[in-house]
Amino acid sequence: MAAVDFALGLIVGLGFYYWKRQQFKHQLRLVLKSFSPRGDWVSSLPPISLMRRELTYVYQQKRNLEQQIQTWQQLVEQAPIGFLRIDEENRLLWCNQKARKLLSIDRWQPEQVRLLLELVRSYELDCLIEKTRQSQQKQVQEWTFYYTHYASTSQQESSVNIAKKIESLALQGYGFPLPEKQVGVFLLDCQALVELSKSREEAFSDLTHELRTPLTSIALVAENLIKRLNNPELRWVEQMLQEVNRLIDLVQDWLDLAQLQADPYQSLNYAVVELRSLIFSVWHTLQPIAKKQEVTLVYSGVDKINMEADRSRLIQVFLNLLDNCIKHSPVGEQILLEVKLVNKNNTSAKEDATIEIDIIDSGSGFAPADLPYVFDRLYRGDKSRTRQGQTGKTSSSRGSGLGLAIAKQIIEAHQGFIEANNHPQTKGAWLKIRLPLREKLTIDNRN
Amino acid sequence: MTLSSPANDSDRTHFERSLLRVQQDVLRMGTLVEESFRMSHQCLFEHNLDAAQQIIPLDKRIDRYYRQIERDCATLMTLQAPVAQDLRLLSAFMQLVRDLERIGDYAQDLTEIAVKLVKYQPHDCFDQIEAMSEHAQLMLATSLVALADLDRSAGEKVKKLDDTVDEAYDHLYQILANQNNIPGVVEPLLLLGLTIRYLERMADHATNIAQRVSYIVTGQRS
Repeated sequence: MAAVDFALGLIVGLGFYYWKRQQFKHQLRLVLKSFSPRGDWVSSLPPISLMRRELTYVYQQKRNLEQQIQTWQQLVEQAPIGFLRIDEENRLLWCNQKARKLLSIDRWQPEQVRLLLELVRSYELDCLIEKTRQSQQKQVQEWTFYYTHYASTSQQESSVNIAKKIESLALQGYGFPLPEKQVGVFLLDCQALVELSKSREEAFSDLTHELRTPLTSIALVAENLIKRLNNPELRWVEQMLQEVNRLIDLVQDWLDLAQLQADPYQSLNYAVVELRSLIFSVWHTLQPIAKKQEVTLVYSGVDKINMEADRSRLIQVFLNLLDNCIKHSPVGEQILLEVKLVNKNNTSAKEDATIEIDIIDSGSGFAPADLPYVFDRLYRGDKSRTRQGQTGKTSSSRGSGLGLAIAKQIIEAHQGFIEANNHPQTKGAWLKIRLPLREKLTIDNRN
Repeated sequence: MTLSSPANDSDRTHFERSLLRVQQDVLRMGTLVEESFRMSHQCLFEHNLDAAQQIIPLDKRIDRYYRQIERDCATLMTLQAPVAQDLRLLSAFMQLVRDLERIGDYAQDLTEIAVKLVKYQPHDCFDQIEAMSEHAQLMLATSLVALADLDRSAGEKVKKLDDTVDEAYDHLYQILANQNNIPGVVEPLLLLGLTIRYLERMADHATNIAQRVSYIVTGQRS
């Protein structure tokens, strides 16, 4: 009896065990099926060895991936552009060699997670990161990064005595959103570009400076020759003299521009100027060409207005602008010139007052594609706005392409503002100038 | 030791998170103040008069940070009742932002001076004033780095640097005060006098910041 009981119990136990085992195998197969996408496992092998094989494979894969990550990290570390990785709370997770060099991060250790602002005090960089995180889109920003040296404990004396305490670097930053509100930033060094364009301008200025003296002597020789020559040689020399004078004007304009740009505020001689009479005197000098084109000037706005400005520079501005207008106006048209007094903050304080001058012609206007560049030096977008065709007729034939650039430079030296547009009604060029009135002034309306 | 303590994300409390935010705001404000100082320098010595306009919104932002940080510090101190270094940190922040804000204000004043000064010929001692301004900027940078690193020796170090500015101030004051061949109006001299005064004040505030940093770490006022 006992033996039968024992056998029965054994059979039930074995059955139970076998059932459990089958269940476990089934579960293993299910797990294998769902986790192994390869599906090439041989079903005849016991599932436990399949599992082992699968695990080895996964482990291998993990190792490969780790190696790949390491390779990438080494690559990025050595990359010629800067890279920063910032976490959700603006802490610096990682940065590469170039970034450390560009941003002068000298107190960073890889295992130490610190706020980015503790290491780099750049508000623009902070803004770029914040903007990228908010928009979750790629952001680009250019700025000049300034690095102020500080006195560190180890080299206190030497760092105080360094020649340059503040260094600047032109940077371009690209922000990319990463998962978990992290942000990656690439940094490009644009300093070389800035220095290059600066040295190009300097070289050009030096060249024009060198050109001035020989040109003047050529002009003198030509003038002397004219007195002694007869036709046909006389005509050739006259033509030569004209061209030489044009070159001299171009060189002079360029030198003016260079000086204005190098030292805009010191090159101005401020005096009280009456604007309306100044504009009319400019118009008077332009009478010969204006008569030829039958163009008239229509002045409206304030009658008499005194302002503080550099008289000769301001004359130059209006000469350039009105000359341009006349040349692009159709025969018999008008040039509108309006002078307004604007108070910025609606206060009666005269220091806040600005003068607004609108000059509108009825010519063909600027081509929309040229608008951003019209104030650039030597820019000739639309060939009709260049003055090549009229050699000689005017004594001061300034066909240099520098007129608007000079006007802008002068206006900005006066802390003013100039803008080019096309007028919606006349379809012609519309130049808007804003100049500060400055103190010590008297405004007499219909005096 | 650093300003942001390296704790794991999981076991950081609400207080630590808030503290980190305030620290970040203080550093951000420091960056802004440094930038306005730099702008005033460019405005005065490099004739970049655009900076006089750009500094106005900057100063408004500084003011906004000043008020916000003060409010946040007060909230944290009352609601979380921090002790020891955390308390010193918060109370020092409240004082420190005041110094920063003053430096920002002086920077704006300097740009206004620069706009007035631009009409006159540069004075002989302009280079010395420029060096003084640069030195004051170096002091501010040192103080801000000390704040980030929580450097206990910062107070002493910056105090030593401040002596240079004080000497320059006395020296320049003597030059300006003893000038007897004044061509034309006296305005440029007045403006230069104000400039060196402002720079000296800015350097003083920078010293204060560094001393407060030392106080945060050591708990002792120097």
